[in-house]
Amino acid sequence: MKLTATTILITLLATTVRSGTILLFPTIGEIFTERTGILNLGIEGMMVIGAFFGFVVAYITKNPYLGFIIGTLAGGAAALIHAFISITLRGNQVVSGLALTIFGLGITSFYGQRWINNKLPESIPTVVVPGLSKIPFIGSIFFRQDYIVYFSYILVLALWFILYKTKPGIHLRASGQNARAADAMGVNVNATRYFWTFFGGLMAGAGGAYLTIAYATFWLEGITAGRGWIAVALVIFAMWNPINALIGAYLFGGISALQFQLQASGTTMPSSLLSMQPYLLTFIIIIIATLIVRARHLGAPKELGTPYSREEK
Amino acid sequence: MLLFEKRENVSTKLKVAIPLISVFLGLVAGGIAILFTRTNPLIVYQALVKGAFSSVYTFSETLVVAIPLILISAGLIVAFKMNFWNIGAYGQYIMGAIFGSFFALNMPATMSRPLLLAIMCLAGILGGALWGLIPAALKAFWEVNEVISTLLLNYIALYILKYLMYGPWRNPASHGFPLSKPFELNAQLPRLLMRTRVHLGLVFGIIAVIIIYILITKTKFGYEIRVIGENKRAARYGGINITKNIFIAMAISGGLAGLAGLAQLSGVIHMLQIEINPGYGYTAIIVAWLASLNPIIAMFVSVVFGGLETGGYQIQMAIRVPFGIVGTIESAVLFFLLGGEILKRYRIRFRRNTS
Repeated sequence: MKLTATTILITLLATTVRSGTILLFPTIGEIFTERTGILNLGIEGMMVIGAFFGFVVAYITKNPYLGFIIGTLAGGAAALIHAFISITLRGNQVVSGLALTIFGLGITSFYGQRWINNKLPESIPTVVVPGLSKIPFIGSIFFRQDYIVYFSYILVLALWFILYKTKPGIHLRASGQNARAADAMGVNVNATRYFWTFFGGLMAGAGGAYLTIAYATFWLEGITAGRGWIAVALVIFAMWNPINALIGAYLFGGISALQFQLQASGTTMPSSLLSMQPYLLTFIIIIIATLIVRARHLGAPKELGTPYSREEK
Repeated sequence: MLLFEKRENVSTKLKVAIPLISVFLGLVAGGIAILFTRTNPLIVYQALVKGAFSSVYTFSETLVVAIPLILISAGLIVAFKMNFWNIGAYGQYIMGAIFGSFFALNMPATMSRPLLLAIMCLAGILGGALWGLIPAALKAFWEVNEVISTLLLNYIALYILKYLMYGPWRNPASHGFPLSKPFELNAQLPRLLMRTRVHLGLVFGIIAVIIIYILITKTKFGYEIRVIGENKRAARYGGINITKNIFIAMAISGGLAGLAGLAQLSGVIHMLQIEINPGYGYTAIIVAWLASLNPIIAMFVSVVFGGLETGGYQIQMAIRVPFGIVGTIESAVLFFLLGGEILKRYRIRFRRNTS
């Protein structure tokens, strides 16, 4: 293959999709959690748990898909701690989420130390989609990926459909907008919140597992490096809409892909300043997104972070 | 099913018992985590306590870690009282260290020690305060979520530090290691006790705790931030200037975190480098919460957590138990504490499912 500008661009954009997928899962999960009224700031912790368990299982069984599934489930299990504290015990959701992050980073560093020098024998295989991959340009970017990326495409569409076109979607949105009214409608608010908080954890675990299994193929203490927090920011950027989450995640995937490309090509810009870019850009974009959300009165789910109980007014 | 009955008032006994039981259960949870590595948790905890409190020296090391925790948690309490979630002490600590180091590295070695130290401390406070005022302004003017802004600023501060250490501030004589020139004697905070590393920062910490305590319990500012924290709308109707209070609170919170960073460099590390323990910024959040946002209690909790961190380093070196166990225990304590707080608000009864 000739190394033309187009092929370089295609490689970069294909990497963008993979790098964006790491953020896409947790962002979309948190959108659903927050839509029900639960704020889970523990994404970073759940992601790193998913990353660790995903890596270990993939390494031992030599099966990346099994690793992905276990990593996903591990993230979901971690989310249940947050669900129990914030839904059943009505504890402070901000602090509980932070505790979850500290917990995830601590426990994986504790168990993960002896796994640091291991590397997966190979990354997850690329699967070319017959037909679609032949579409010029687009095909090479989106349809020469792995099964998990294809799974994420279907998931985004399915979740968009569930959120806006189905009864469970109405219920979960109602739980976050006005829990009392939802309750009166016959929605089990707390069960809804439990389910989607668990789902958010699954997705964070999936993002973390994808990071170690397909992207990095090794384990390192704190390997998520703030991606969980970027996902929290992307939820606002996406204005709680799964389709926007796709755009946001790929945008940031693109920034990291570009930053690695630049670092590899040996630019004169110091690497620490390059590595700062994703955080700096998230910071700027979150300001802009907040202003847009305010101007258009979109806003967060009205009862985000507020526990619900029937007895209390 | 569980039934929650509202409590009218909370007994002091319960207020004391919940944090203590949380710490105990946190240690139990940590112990279970240790069991999975086929290690006896009792041996680990024994080594941990020994590494933190068994001799004058180990206790002095515990105090050395407690100093930044005392300073940072005192500041965080001010922000948390008004429900401003400053998760950015990590970054504010780094900026304080950078601002203070600028003077340590650029002033002549002949300069008067008290003068240089005073300038460095002010610079440290200023650096932390400026870094704290960015999210304050974004929140006050545009309602940008402060959890996200303070967190992202942590990463930005870390990369600024890395940039300086791999670039302009690196000591040419450090053989490529990312270290600055060592601080001259006139840039080092005096030690309080012979043969220990306990430094003047401890005095700063105690003074800060007293000032913050008076500030939040006896002044109009303290009253106003409490009202804002409890009910923002009521505060606005009551004519409280929320913007002004956010700025003051975050200048204090960031400033104390910055002072903590500077004190750690000037009192302990004596040079600027990448590993300057900004993670204390996160630990201090747990400290503040465990102390129910009371700065005096937070001071004592800081010593306990200083011991946990010091002991954690010791067991890592002595019996090779990874340091991650400290974060595991700390977060478990926090989970139990958060879960336990419901007992302050409700009496919980069990009832056979009837609904």
